[in-house]
Amino acid sequence: MVIALPFNAEHLSETEDFESRPKIVKFVALKKHQEQDAAQGQELASFEEAMLPHLDAAHNLARWLVRNEQDAQDVVQEAYLRAFRSFGGFRGSNGRPWLLTIVRNTSYTLLKKNRAADFTTFDEEIHASSDESAGPATILEHSEDAELIKEAINELPAEFREILVLRHQEGLSYKEIADIAQIPPGTVMSRLARARGKLKEYLAARIGKEK
Amino acid sequence: MNCKEVINLMDGYLDSELDPLTSQTIEQHLRDCPNCDRIYKAHGSLMRAIATASPYHKAPAGLRERIQSSLREEIAEQPIRDVSSEMPVRPLSKQSEPRTVFFGTQWNWLALAAAIILAALIALNLVPRLQRPGADQLLATQLIASHVRSLMANHLTDVASSDQHTVKPWLDTKLDFAPAVPDLSNKGFPLVGGRLDYLDNRPVAALIYQRRKHFINLFVWPIESNTAKTTKTMSRQGYQLLHWADSDFNYWAVSDVNADDLQTFKQGFEEQIHSQPR
Repeated sequence: MVIALPFNAEHLSETEDFESRPKIVKFVALKKHQEQDAAQGQELASFEEAMLPHLDAAHNLARWLVRNEQDAQDVVQEAYLRAFRSFGGFRGSNGRPWLLTIVRNTSYTLLKKNRAADFTTFDEEIHASSDESAGPATILEHSEDAELIKEAINELPAEFREILVLRHQEGLSYKEIADIAQIPPGTVMSRLARARGKLKEYLAARIGKEK
Repeated sequence: MNCKEVINLMDGYLDSELDPLTSQTIEQHLRDCPNCDRIYKAHGSLMRAIATASPYHKAPAGLRERIQSSLREEIAEQPIRDVSSEMPVRPLSKQSEPRTVFFGTQWNWLALAAAIILAALIALNLVPRLQRPGADQLLATQLIASHVRSLMANHLTDVASSDQHTVKPWLDTKLDFAPAVPDLSNKGFPLVGGRLDYLDNRPVAALIYQRRKHFINLFVWPIESNTAKTTKTMSRQGYQLLHWADSDFNYWAVSDVNADDLQTFKQGFEEQIHSQPR
């Protein structure tokens, strides 16, 4: 529909004409804003829909890695921001391993910054399996003691804590763990075996000392 | 498969991550070897117990909201080009308006509106790209190129002297202006020398200062009357640029030192030229 109006100088003074230009410009600008806002809103909505369901998993991993509630929350918040910034590059259907990779990397950044004990060698004296160590049956008896297990896991180096959490608590496949921990798939099994072996050792030592 | 191999693969077997053939072989071995079977069962039950007993740290209340609001802040901080304020609106000149066109012609308003929107869109796309950052960006590129060249081609100085009373007279004879050459060695920026350079279509003075192992090129030329006396910082290709101006001169400092050092340099420079009149 084309409306052709005859120009009438008496109805439309020149001052009005001046105003109409910036108004149109502003309208176009406003429209651009709105479109940008709408696009961003949509992106945020789909990000939240895909990633917020994994908040517990993200927090759990960060909490085990940095071993401190305040740091864990900061790490998770930072990880979500990083994830949002690179959400455009996420094309998969399974958001959890993708998000956990970012949480893991953010946690390590913090651990390295704090020069946490994770990166120093362990005191073999303390952790050496001595005669006091408990046998497998005794460990199993104590295995329901959540506090004991938590302490033993927290003593492990970060790479062992990480792999135990991903396997036992998140139930992820070796393939997914390899992606998150950035190690070859063939290494996952041997690292898990070493982590479990160390955990058993620490549990045995702790139980042995308590006796 | 012997016992050692079975023990080695036990974690993979326990996690059901082995290929079917290997799994079958191990299963067979466990049926035949009570020793390995015992180890397998003990390992398995312990792992299951640990998995059950290890505490799962659920996200605390409030973390979700905290993340959601930080995401919204992130979006809000993203610069949306405020085109309306950058768009210059030039009033139509009354004299130049051919009035006959207005009086004599039938005007298609939709076409006019479309034309204005089209013009606005073109301007929206061109104005920020060409005018706004253009001049500064071009100058920044020249400044960095000049800085890099001065370090590269063994042509850092035309007059190498840490004595301001040598550098200043030398520059004065080569230029049509006389920039201040303060000695900043007591502030940690010893003078290295001076050089002539050509920037922004004019000869300029380049004063070279040192900060530890780094060099700072300070380009100086007279200010033009309409230049805004603003302070600007830029960071490009790993170089820091800092611009300021006083009543007489434009200053551009370029270096690979960090931004804080460059600010300290500027402060020192200004204090020094205010305390010792030229």
